[in-house]
Amino acid sequence: MKKPNLKLIIGIAVIVIALGYLVISSTLSGSQYFMTVEELQAQKAELVGKNVRMSGAVLGETIQYDPQTLQLSFQVAQIPGDHREIEAMGGMQKVLADAVANPNAAKMTIYYKGARPDLLKDEAQAIITGSLDANGDFQATELLLKCPSKYEAALPKQ
Amino acid sequence: MYYLGLISFALAFVTALAGLVVAALSLARREKQLPGLAVRLTQVSFGLHTLSIVAMLILQALEDFTVSYVNSVINPAMSPILRITALWGGQAGSLFFWSWIIALCFFLAVSGRRGLMDAWAYVVAAVNLLFFIGLPLFLENPFARVWELVDGTLAEGVFAPAVGAVIYRGLTGVGLNPLLRHPGMIIHPPILYMGFGLFLIPFAVGVSQLIRRQNDDDLLDKTHAWLIAAWVLLSAGIVLGSWWSYDVLGWGGYWAWDPVETASLLPWLTSTGLLHSLLLQRKRGIFRRFNLVLVLASYLLVIFSIFITRAGVLSSVHAFSESLISRPLIVFTILMVVFSIALLVRSWKSLGSGWELNSLISREALFLYTNVLLLGLTVVCLWGLVYPLTSGTLGGQQITLDRGFYDRSTLPLFILLVVLMGICPLIGWSTASLKRLKKTWWIPVAIALAGVGAFYLAGIRAWSALVMFFIVFLGLAVQLFLTARDANAVGPAKFFKFWWKQRGRYGAFLVHAGILLIALGIAGTEVMGSAIEGTLIPGDRMPLGRYEIELNAASANYDNPEYMNVVIETTLYRDGEKIADLKPGQHIYMDRNQSITIPAVHSTLRGDVYALVLGFNMDMPYATIKLIDNPLVNWMWIGGFCLVLGGILAGTARRPDRETDEDETAADSKVISYAQATGRRENGD
Repeated sequence: MKKPNLKLIIGIAVIVIALGYLVISSTLSGSQYFMTVEELQAQKAELVGKNVRMSGAVLGETIQYDPQTLQLSFQVAQIPGDHREIEAMGGMQKVLADAVANPNAAKMTIYYKGARPDLLKDEAQAIITGSLDANGDFQATELLLKCPSKYEAALPKQ
Repeated sequence: MYYLGLISFALAFVTALAGLVVAALSLARREKQLPGLAVRLTQVSFGLHTLSIVAMLILQALEDFTVSYVNSVINPAMSPILRITALWGGQAGSLFFWSWIIALCFFLAVSGRRGLMDAWAYVVAAVNLLFFIGLPLFLENPFARVWELVDGTLAEGVFAPAVGAVIYRGLTGVGLNPLLRHPGMIIHPPILYMGFGLFLIPFAVGVSQLIRRQNDDDLLDKTHAWLIAAWVLLSAGIVLGSWWSYDVLGWGGYWAWDPVETASLLPWLTSTGLLHSLLLQRKRGIFRRFNLVLVLASYLLVIFSIFITRAGVLSSVHAFSESLISRPLIVFTILMVVFSIALLVRSWKSLGSGWELNSLISREALFLYTNVLLLGLTVVCLWGLVYPLTSGTLGGQQITLDRGFYDRSTLPLFILLVVLMGICPLIGWSTASLKRLKKTWWIPVAIALAGVGAFYLAGIRAWSALVMFFIVFLGLAVQLFLTARDANAVGPAKFFKFWWKQRGRYGAFLVHAGILLIALGIAGTEVMGSAIEGTLIPGDRMPLGRYEIELNAASANYDNPEYMNVVIETTLYRDGEKIADLKPGQHIYMDRNQSITIPAVHSTLRGDVYALVLGFNMDMPYATIKLIDNPLVNWMWIGGFCLVLGGILAGTARRPDRETDEDETAADSKVISYAQATGRRENGD
């Protein structure tokens, strides 16, 4: 065996430490918990102000939008976060419809400033990034909307 | 036609399997040569596979809507060219197409130069081919038909799913997702897939060497052309993908660290590192073990990338929904990784690797730093993809990493990389070339400072942008300077001939210039870019920096039967003077419940002013407009073009090896001897 090169070992150590620092610090600041409405409400106290991503079913009647000020607000109802659970409950479309129809589902109000997305409508799935404010409302920085019909197989159901 | 396609597809699998058996038997008998029968079986398999692809294209052209896949991607209004691209526009079709690309690469490898594929390499490639044919054949068959069951419901299947089911003929075609109807999307997937697929062959040859416990320069000589071709196509594929994203997705961005984008970057990073350290192996005989690891890693990351795209485990614009194929894919990916690691561990010691660096600022050392940075980037990106996957299963609470994670962690690494790229050409293989530069080093620096000064005078004060511009200009100036020095030494008349002979070197220059230009575009948009959104009624104006946009009118028409075409007429002003009429809009596909945003762009080398319609009301009328200023963004596409062109140029060059050095030192000395022969003296020497 060749004698290990001290310079090389120091070099590698420096690189590993620098890279490790970069990854860990970025992970800590860039992490987002992916949560459901119920989980958010259960852990309200510790989550205020933290960067969170959540998902819920849009309640069409609650959508309010002022095109002048670009102020948008709406409510979402609880849907499960795990896709296996969703499959077991009969698929995303059914889960969304049930969540909207269920008057006892946990609900949360979302506030957003920006243009109203076209896909924001009743029974759409909203994936929302932002944080909880002190009132327990959700201040969104990013909205992503999915209509289940768009992603389903193109076969017309009879 | 339908049966021709289905049967030839199934037979392609059978013949490929037969080829695997023949090769395995020959290995069991310890024969030295790969049997000719195995080669012929691969060729037949590829022929059958191609036949089934052609059959699918004909089904698409003839609108056979009894085939479920055809129904989902074709409708009667689509043009012939779109009907071809529909082949890779949906899940089943794109898997089918990917299996054909793998078959094509395998076919090229066995049919080309004799001796590239030995029996072990053949077996490895055949196993991969069979897996990727098996996925669409058994789990997502593109030839599956739509059946009507006795109770009137519809079902999909290659064979009748129940007794009494009949083929359903009432479908009229849904058509390709409108987002995919774009020239970038026509060529992006085939080019990217081809780039991906080509990595299989070096992987197979590398694994074969590991199994045979052999590690010599053989691997390099055999697979160098494959690696360069793969790298060029992969680069082109990634650039095209981000152009599509910029032009179609309607958000004014080109790269979002979307899981699929990030995954496709992984093999690019490792193969870029590989191309650098291969040069070192050739010149100095070092980095052998490292190169073998990179060859294996590049293909494994390709499979990982396919897994990320296909399995639908991370949400993404590209991702298909989670399906039957995700489990086999993850199992296969893990098996291949474990297999490769086991092989490496088994013969690690015997692989041998000379490891010596003459100096910490020599060319070798800079290549080493480059590779450390590239691998660092690979690790960061891999972490970004894997961490959210594991956090869900381990900690219970699923965690995702946002864009900020990538921006923060990759930025320092990318900046260092660009710095290295700028100064690297100045430092030759020996310290001698550095000495020769002494008297002239200030020329590129002066050019770079002049460039930055121009930007400063143009009103740019952000110091981070100015530093970045300095680095980019310095790198570009160094390359121009060295090229000019060569030209001066050789003499302008003979320079073109010299340039062509040395195209390996100048191709590499062009690739690096391309990266620097891309960095210029990124720095421009990230640091100097700005955006504003607001709702306007006709006559309103909205300011953005020196620009102003005025809303004139809103209209809608049904010129195309598939969608409602909303057009918002606006005028763009710069410093109060009209510079363009922009007509952003939206295409609203009522039946699909989908709308796509059609951006309008005022595009110059200075940058793009990009207008989007976010919302509108035809009755009022009003429209919500987003105006984005993307300075220097077009340099990114120009850089991408240089990158690909340089790669092609370097790829066609005769491969330099240790005997006939055509590298920088040799080029330098040639320049000198050339100059002496023609009675000129090299400048500054």
